[in-house]
Amino acid sequence: MPKAAGKRIRRTFRKKLSNNSDMAEMKSMFREVLPKQGQLSVEDITTMVLCKPKLLPLKSLTLEKLEKMQQAAQDTIRQQEMAEKEQPQISH
Amino acid sequence: MGLEMEPLLLAWSYFRHRKFQLCADLCMQMLEKSPYDQAARILKARALNEVVYIEEIDVDQEGIAGMILNKNAQVPRPGTSLKLPGSNQTGGPSPAVRPITQAGIPITGFLRPSVQSGRPSTMEQAIRTPRIAYTAYPIASSSGRFFRLVMASMLTSPDGPFINLSRLNLRKYAQKPKLAKALFEYIFHHENDVKTAVDLAALSTEHSQYKDWWWKVQIGECYYRLGMYLEAEKQFKSALKQQEMVDTFLYLAKVYISLDQPVTALNLFKQGLDKFPGEETLLCGIARIYEEMNNISSTTEYHKEVLKQDNTQVEATACIGSNHFYSDQPEVALRFYRRFLQMGPYNSQLFNNLGICCFYAQQYDMTLTSFERALSLAENEEEVAEVWHNLGHVAVGIGDTNLAHQCFRLGLVNSNKHAETYNNLAVLEMWKGHVKHMGDLQRSYIAAQKSEAAFPDHLGT
Repeated sequence: MPKAAGKRIRRTFRKKLSNNSDMAEMKSMFREVLPKQGQLSVEDITTMVLCKPKLLPLKSLTLEKLEKMQQAAQDTIRQQEMAEKEQPQISH
Repeated sequence: MGLEMEPLLLAWSYFRHRKFQLCADLCMQMLEKSPYDQAARILKARALNEVVYIEEIDVDQEGIAGMILNKNAQVPRPGTSLKLPGSNQTGGPSPAVRPITQAGIPITGFLRPSVQSGRPSTMEQAIRTPRIAYTAYPIASSSGRFFRLVMASMLTSPDGPFINLSRLNLRKYAQKPKLAKALFEYIFHHENDVKTAVDLAALSTEHSQYKDWWWKVQIGECYYRLGMYLEAEKQFKSALKQQEMVDTFLYLAKVYISLDQPVTALNLFKQGLDKFPGEETLLCGIARIYEEMNNISSTTEYHKEVLKQDNTQVEATACIGSNHFYSDQPEVALRFYRRFLQMGPYNSQLFNNLGICCFYAQQYDMTLTSFERALSLAENEEEVAEVWHNLGHVAVGIGDTNLAHQCFRLGLVNSNKHAETYNNLAVLEMWKGHVKHMGDLQRSYIAAQKSEAAFPDHLGT
């Protein structure tokens, strides 16, 4: 009994081998075709991309002083304008 | 009976303690009692000058007309011009990774009040370049110049100038160099009357028989302010022949940069380094030029030299940090930005950068606290918008698109001019549309269009 089983196994193994070689033969029947001429189409799908995170540049002392002075000057002007607006109202 | 300090001495004391407004007020009182007190007058001039004094070296003065209508060579050789930095790109991240400004230059790690390179080629582009101080883009100093022309004197002496320049006898003051120098600085920095200043300087130079380098430098500065770069160059060169000073090198380099001759400026800096080896400002100047020419590797090299001399230098640290971040090394960038926590500025930009670096370096514990601190320190709405935009990125990174959506919307609430936020919001809307159903893509398209209008060079759009 074991012998028969062993034979059977060998047979199946042989069969598989032969299947493989058959496959190889079949594959070799299909030649790869790489055309050297002809039209080539490429599909370029544009995808939307997130803008990258931004490192904020640090400010120099000069720039900070300029901004502070600018802010102070604008506040002064605003106050003067408010004062001017109030004056005609008071005079009325 | 109280013992009071003599008023002039008290005023001097205020001056030395940098309490300039008190000093000026006290001097005003003295002048009311005795109008011909020269000491009080000069002291007041110096005090008012100190209030509005800004390092001229840092500031480039060029308006739109100067940018467009200059008579310099229009076709420079590659690698020799600041106008065409794109052709010189050597080392450094691609523009797809590193955000670029509207002028096409990668965003730098440090902002100064100067006209950055990439001078616009058309009038339209020039007008479009942002001129307000609050953006993260390099600003044109016309805001600074405008401020100084109109508001400086308004700020310090709202009742009008106390020295009447038109009635000043310049020749008399030119005979007294010490008085003349203080007066010159007042006229130049506080009153911004360059013409009178240059007259005074010319008379004083004559009086000193052309042997005083200081006056030559001041004349050079005046010419620079007036846009007469070649004359300014002559003056600075003459001053250097007489006495080599670091400031003169810096001013002359500024002239060469304005004349779009970066290579000449670099050679000058190297000459200066021969005379003053290891001088931090010269090294920094070289690094800035390389940065404007987009030569990132040399920039980093020179910034590192600066740090060897002074390891608390903000500009060098910030620039190296941002270069590392955009070269895909957020941990190294984090090291540099953490240095600031030990010694440097404490503001919204720093904590924003720390937050981004922490997130990308996978230190998630510090990320959100840094961003919270950044939000609390923000001084204006544009800064808040930037922080929310970056927070949105963090949210996208952790996969919470709802949070990201909210962050971007909050960014837009604070500043509706932020192009990147519009773009990212549009992308999110599109993603949502694909996942759920074919929803309101019209809105996302309009948002993307808006961002394109605001930010035409951007690749992502």
